[in-house]
Amino acid sequence: MSFKTRKDQILAKLFKRYPTLVQRWAKAHNFVVNANTPWAALTKELRACRVALVTTAGVHLHWQSAFDMKDKEGDPTFRQIPSNIDPNDLRITHNYYDHRDADRDINVVLPIKRLKELEAEGFIGEVSPRHFSFMGHILGRHLNTLVKQTGPEVARILKEDGADAVFLTPA
Amino acid sequence: MGLIQRTIEAEGIPTISISLNRTITEKVKPPRALLVGFALGHPMGNPFDKEIQRQILIEGLRLLKEIREAGAIVEGENASFAG
Repeated sequence: MSFKTRKDQILAKLFKRYPTLVQRWAKAHNFVVNANTPWAALTKELRACRVALVTTAGVHLHWQSAFDMKDKEGDPTFRQIPSNIDPNDLRITHNYYDHRDADRDINVVLPIKRLKELEAEGFIGEVSPRHFSFMGHILGRHLNTLVKQTGPEVARILKEDGADAVFLTPA
Repeated sequence: MGLIQRTIEAEGIPTISISLNRTITEKVKPPRALLVGFALGHPMGNPFDKEIQRQILIEGLRLLKEIREAGAIVEGENASFAG
């Protein structure tokens, strides 16, 4: 294990243990600050909606390539996760948060099973055929790729899939 | 994550996200957010806690209908320890 990986993992454990550190980091970190917010109203009833999940928790199928943890500015690519996969085939590659709990139960970061249950109960219309996963911690030059390229690409595929609503989870 | 959410909403698909930290969410301004009080890496709560995971998912999906103002951050039932 590289020094960087070890350092990132120690920081991730500290952040989990001491929430005040997260708060200090959130205040100090140079996040993209937006003035306006886009808006699309949900016109259908939930019981008629096709719902997709999107996460930035670094989830991927074990046969898909892992997210690039060597690049300090992160990895702006995404992975498609078919909604009918076996959750045991999912892995997490992300050194910037402590994902030991999510490794044990993927629903901690990607509520894939809970969403299917809501479909079976009729609370939502149906689960969209694909979900999407990114890695958070995107910085510098990769922010532009995310906002101009890979983010819009996922939005386009979600439209193709007929998703009526999207539920997003961070890490 | 808020940036991706904004991109999807801008394409015309309504979105809701889980927020683990109000300060970050207020900066990024996603269209709708549900604030929960769990540690980083736990947006849906604890492993194998089906009831809480289900509750957060339902709470979030309902907010897709209930929130009428862009940028709203709603404190969920599990928000008491949130930053």
